[in-house]
Amino acid sequence: MPSGLRRILLGLLAGVASLWLAPTARADRLDEIKQRGELVWGGDESGGAPYVFKKEEDGKYYGFEVDIADEIAKELGVKARFQQGEWVQLPAMLDKGDIDLALNGIELTQDRQENYLCTRPYYVYGLQLLVRQDSSIQKWEDLDDLKAKGKLTFGVLEGTAAEEYLKKRYGADLVKSFDNAKLAMKELEEGTISATLQDDCFAIYFADDYPKIRFVGRPIAPGLYVGMVKKTEPRLLAAINQALDKMIQDGRLKKIYDHWDMAGRAQVVSLRNAAEIKLAASGSDIQKILLNSFPFLLKAAGMTVFLAVASMPLAILIGILIAIGRMYGAWFVAKPLSVYVEVVRGTPLMLQLYFIYYLLPSVGISLPPLVAGVLGLAINYSAYEAEIYRAGFQAVPSGQMEAALSLGMTRRQSIFGIVLPQAFRIVIPPVANDFIALFKDTSVCSVITIVELTKQYEIQFQNHPGALVQLAVVTGILYMLMSYPLSRFSRWSERKLAGKKFTGAHGQVAPV
Amino acid sequence: MISTVNLVKHFGSLEVLRGISLAVNQGEVAVIIGPSGGGKSTFLRCLNGLETFDGGEITVGDCALQPGEADRPQREKVQKIRRRLGMVFQQFNLFPHLSVLDNVAIGPRRVLNMPRGEANERAKGLLARVGLSEKMNERPSRLSGGQQQRVAIARALAMQPDAILFDEPTSSLDPRMTAEVLAVLADLAKSGQTMIVTTHAMNFARRAAHRVYVFQDGVILESGPPEQIFERPQQRATAEFLRETAA
Repeated sequence: MPSGLRRILLGLLAGVASLWLAPTARADRLDEIKQRGELVWGGDESGGAPYVFKKEEDGKYYGFEVDIADEIAKELGVKARFQQGEWVQLPAMLDKGDIDLALNGIELTQDRQENYLCTRPYYVYGLQLLVRQDSSIQKWEDLDDLKAKGKLTFGVLEGTAAEEYLKKRYGADLVKSFDNAKLAMKELEEGTISATLQDDCFAIYFADDYPKIRFVGRPIAPGLYVGMVKKTEPRLLAAINQALDKMIQDGRLKKIYDHWDMAGRAQVVSLRNAAEIKLAASGSDIQKILLNSFPFLLKAAGMTVFLAVASMPLAILIGILIAIGRMYGAWFVAKPLSVYVEVVRGTPLMLQLYFIYYLLPSVGISLPPLVAGVLGLAINYSAYEAEIYRAGFQAVPSGQMEAALSLGMTRRQSIFGIVLPQAFRIVIPPVANDFIALFKDTSVCSVITIVELTKQYEIQFQNHPGALVQLAVVTGILYMLMSYPLSRFSRWSERKLAGKKFTGAHGQVAPV
Repeated sequence: MISTVNLVKHFGSLEVLRGISLAVNQGEVAVIIGPSGGGKSTFLRCLNGLETFDGGEITVGDCALQPGEADRPQREKVQKIRRRLGMVFQQFNLFPHLSVLDNVAIGPRRVLNMPRGEANERAKGLLARVGLSEKMNERPSRLSGGQQQRVAIARALAMQPDAILFDEPTSSLDPRMTAEVLAVLADLAKSGQTMIVTTHAMNFARRAAHRVYVFQDGVILESGPPEQIFERPQQRATAEFLRETAA
């Protein structure tokens, strides 16, 4: 094994070891909370109402979970402080000690129960099927007919029980996952998906905001929302559970749900009988988890390779044309192209993908996610390739162009037949370098529902939060295995080009 | 064959050519000498459109070119002229990514749309003529400067031009390589090839030229048959230049 790779792997292992060891030595969290006078609880405000959302007017957070956290804190004799975090990162934030409690529509699963301490349930949810008003779907059975016709697609919030449910029942290929439940609602309104499955409290709360969407049937597959604390904090868990029990007994929880129009009495009655509700099953043994996850990660790595391999040649092609336009075109060609380069280089890839995938449909251009992803990557990288090729063209001595022209070749023949082939070789190392960068940038495509390697990693660690670090190492190794040959090629081509210099402009041969 | 009338060229405020008028007939060898910076190279580059010019007229065969914008008719005229004129550069400017054979054959193939086999045959014949048959599969970077320049001459000949412009073809070569390139030039001159050569090789000018032009500060100081220029120069400046060159 080359020494560079070995050093990197050793570094990775050292990092992993420190992650494992660090969090064990810590004082009891409950004492710490009381001392600091503050219960820090984590949630994701982009999930929005009725869970947690920020009001523009006063910049404060509202939602039934805000109220519940406030009451829990009161019982502990402290104040509650909300800590914003991406929903999928909440378990990691617990592990790192950034938050004391994760409380944000977290469904109770066996896996979560095994890796964290879960509080007693504070809400019983059901999954509500939603379709467009003009849809032919009247009942759940109609979905099977639609599937048989090959016309069924779902959109759903990723990492949720709803997603699991649909994938299991209808197959993963038919389910598109979104970062945000409202994106799924928007897609449904636009008719790009046939249905969505949402937690009932979300669906009911926003029912009036989506007049084009209607409910189908009653909520199904009931489950429980629980809070999570770190496995090492049983005293904190007991204190929170005691608080929740008290809130259920003295009617404070009912009052909170009534305030948010969430059928308080029905909730409290359901919660008292919650023991009967089943948990979603999942494995726990780390080895088993890795073995189970590996095929998914491998398949997703294939998607990563596809995205990179499909978009890079396109980026190079567009880049070459831009470079030629800027170098040899008239001002009315060169000027707009330089604006294009500045705009594309000056804005983030994620924004560009959002634009292509979510905004273009509003002017009637609706692209499938894969096409949008490849196009977005190609456009983004075309700006960088254009600059590289411009430098490449400039590195070819001007005598080459003159010699071609004086043979009677047209400008086009001279550029494409004489200058471009020489520039092409000069830029191989930087282009190979960019290819490696693009390889990793493909992960941004996850924002437009594409499941590539990084996304699949996220999905896997949501399902198995206990194997978060190990999954990261496996994912990292997969990325390295893919990009390492490329970086070898890049270095090899650099050496080769450095050794075999052309002597286009200057007569004497450089000593090799 | 080639003539210019009152050719003027500026680089910004610098006047490089200040009214050059000359005429080269079919089969004639015109040699342009004179101190560096006198406008020799610029003149050649104007002839085949590598530089634009600001006044006067260039005529090549039946094609007359006036100064003008690079619009379509102008570009087509320049294109036509370039097909009739070959050019050989001081720095050779061979295409480094092509073999020696392809360097010579690419003109006929791309510009005359000649089939590959036929173009290669022509190229092989020309490489034999400049004595480089055995190098035809090499890359230019493997050749000496003199060999590269001979390939460049073959490349120009492959287009069967009416005339060839040589822009200081031996200035970046050592004496031995200079001799081998000048031998090829002399051979071409003998065969009746129309040529315009800018050079500092006075012996070559004396032997091969039909007419010698002395350029200085953008004007033709004087011109005439070589024996007149070299034996009885009319201008004092010419005599001085020749004396300095000989020293």
